Amino acid sequence: MEFFSNFVDQFWPQTRNGLTLGSIYAMIALGYTMVYGVLQLINFAHSEVFMVSTFTTLFAYRDWFNVVAPASGVGLLVLLMGGLIPAMIFSAVLAVLIERFAYRPLRKRGAPRLSFLISAIGASFFIQYLFVLMDGQHSLIFFDLPNIAGPSPQTVPTVMETSTVFTVFDTPFSNKRVIVILAAALMLFVLDRFVRQTKMGRGIRAVAQDAEAASMMGVDINRVIVVTFAVGGLMAGAAGFLYILVLGVPAFWFIGFLPGIKAFTAAVLGGIGNIRGAMVGGLLLGLVEAYSVPLFGAEWTDVTAFVVLVLVLLFRPTGIMGEEVGS
Amino acid sequence: MAEETPVKQDRTPSDDEAGRPARKQTWQRRWRERKADLREKRITQTVRLRTTISKDLQPVTGPLAKLRAKIEEHRKWTHPLIGFLLIAVAALLPYLDDWMDLPLWVSRVTSGSALARFALFALFALGLNVVVGFAGLLDLGYVAFWALGAYTAGIATGAHSFTQARISGTEEGAEPVFAMWMWGILLLALVVAVIAGVILGSPTLRLRGDYLAIVTLGFGEIIRITANNLDGITGGPRGVRNVPHPRIEAGGINVEWGTLLDVKYYWLLLTLVVLWVIAIRLLDHSRIGRAWVAIREDEVAAAAMGVPIVKMKLAAFAIGACTAGVGGVVYAEQVGFISPPTFNVVQSILILSMVVIGGMGSIPGAIVGAAIVVLLPEMFRGLEDYRFFVFGLAIVLMMIFRPQGVLPSKRRKAELLGESQGEQLYDASHAGS
Repeated sequence: MEFFSNFVDQFWPQTRNGLTLGSIYAMIALGYTMVYGVLQLINFAHSEVFMVSTFTTLFAYRDWFNVVAPASGVGLLVLLMGGLIPAMIFSAVLAVLIERFAYRPLRKRGAPRLSFLISAIGASFFIQYLFVLMDGQHSLIFFDLPNIAGPSPQTVPTVMETSTVFTVFDTPFSNKRVIVILAAALMLFVLDRFVRQTKMGRGIRAVAQDAEAASMMGVDINRVIVVTFAVGGLMAGAAGFLYILVLGVPAFWFIGFLPGIKAFTAAVLGGIGNIRGAMVGGLLLGLVEAYSVPLFGAEWTDVTAFVVLVLVLLFRPTGIMGEEVGS
Repeated sequence: MAEETPVKQDRTPSDDEAGRPARKQTWQRRWRERKADLREKRITQTVRLRTTISKDLQPVTGPLAKLRAKIEEHRKWTHPLIGFLLIAVAALLPYLDDWMDLPLWVSRVTSGSALARFALFALFALGLNVVVGFAGLLDLGYVAFWALGAYTAGIATGAHSFTQARISGTEEGAEPVFAMWMWGILLLALVVAVIAGVILGSPTLRLRGDYLAIVTLGFGEIIRITANNLDGITGGPRGVRNVPHPRIEAGGINVEWGTLLDVKYYWLLLTLVVLWVIAIRLLDHSRIGRAWVAIREDEVAAAAMGVPIVKMKLAAFAIGACTAGVGGVVYAEQVGFISPPTFNVVQSILILSMVVIGGMGSIPGAIVGAAIVVLLPEMFRGLEDYRFFVFGLAIVLMMIFRPQGVLPSKRRKAELLGESQGEQLYDASHAGS
């Protein structure tokens, strides 16, 4: 009974936490779901795209802007953009590179699906340890690796002061959380419009429905795939930036693993290949995880997420909103 | 109907030709070109597949090929003989350093502890090879079964309760004396791992292959986090200490395994590897092995021919699991100390890289893969910071340039190089040309 009263006590704060975390999961989940839509493939290296974004944010604030004290007003806006934009760009570039080097050669050969998964895992492993080696003390044959990451976690300087914007049900919403939720909503809205209303979006949907037919109708499949990876990368980039900004967790080489696997869970929960499903799934998983804190204790949140994944796959593998690849 | 007629007329060929002749022609031409292109590609792929297979049927030329043919001809006695010689050489490797002056990098590799580590991972690679190579299921949480085996040993030998008693200091725990029971515990861990494999596998093996990969990834984490959280059962982050070393004491024989560096662990593990190689070879050539081939090559066709898909996948999964369980017991008893951080995802992927580098579906490949991944960093000490980085890169490069691995199995090579029949991602190489 005690844990139930705990749950009631913490319901609103945990709802808030769940929504924040869920927005971030939703943004990462979009990358999985879109790539799954066009390639029917889980991009295991997507978590590394997220990781790169956190390091870009760190690098931007620590080395470019030399942030020492929290800013406010216009300065803050410049700082936020100065962190967000490079994070998104670098992530998108990495996502495209992954597609180019880990997937495309296999695609050209018509390799079995298992090869893609293994190649993706290899790429993920490679990128993670590339960042471990970037501690300023290692070099690859020709050049010294810069000191960006390294094996130990690196704290990102505080960019903005935390302050309460408004209070609902005695639960204060800090400015950071409001930014995350608003930014996620905006991004998801823009993405939804992009996929549904632009020409490229139509191409993506066409490839997701039937790639061969789409190519016969003159859709450039390779271009569509690259754009899909890039868009997924942009979203993961924004997610990584917000993750670092809000939760204040230090950036480290393994940071992508858990958010990555959870975002995948979110994508499956909502129905993989379904963009709106990824948003719903992300928020839902964030909430489930947050509520599991008062119910089972903070050390079991990750296990809860995995159990949700297994249960969804067992009882409703098509997800809540259904797999509607390409519609 | 009457209203639709003009619309239909609008789309008749004659109207189009009058209106936009040029555009229609290009459209038709493109369509035709693309069809021809696709056909041509299909043909070349079939030819490639055939040549890959027929390479094995080419006439015998050269002395090496002749020797190989001779060996194949008398395989009844040559194969066991070669196997026996290989085992003898492998077993005597630790003595090499005593007999002759070896360069430093060789003596590092032939030290008992390095070889024991190699044999342990060779065992794991053999087990994972059954799952990934034979049945074509990607298991990214293989380390979970290793952890289960190790913790079974830690708890069943009484080492855990001893550790707990000593930490709390409330009572003098009895020193674990279950050393003799090590062999029983080996069986127990095997059973535990098989049960865990079946529990995890029976619902998830019905899923698509890529879902299985992510579920197993999650399972590996669940086991690790659970071991970390359940203080009472597993000792939590402190782990289990004082796992007893194994011993045989029967009749006049008294063999006692010592601490970590004892060479006898290598021989023990080598024995297990040999047993496993024999067992897996027999399995591969049995009905089950043929069922795996059928599932891998075309699951739908296999199901139509009456192959019990889920059962066969489950068998592969359980065999892989019990291998890791047994290896886990020996690991726990050799090292004497187990704690959750050992069993992280990195280990699973390292074992996967052994299977991939060696050659999926190839038994010698798994062992060679383990040798490369374990012993190579041992040779180039000082560069070992780079090993994970290099192996990650190696996995990707292998998949691109040599998907069949270093020591491929013939059938798997044909499958991986040629066009797969079952699950296949479409090729977009000529899109937009």
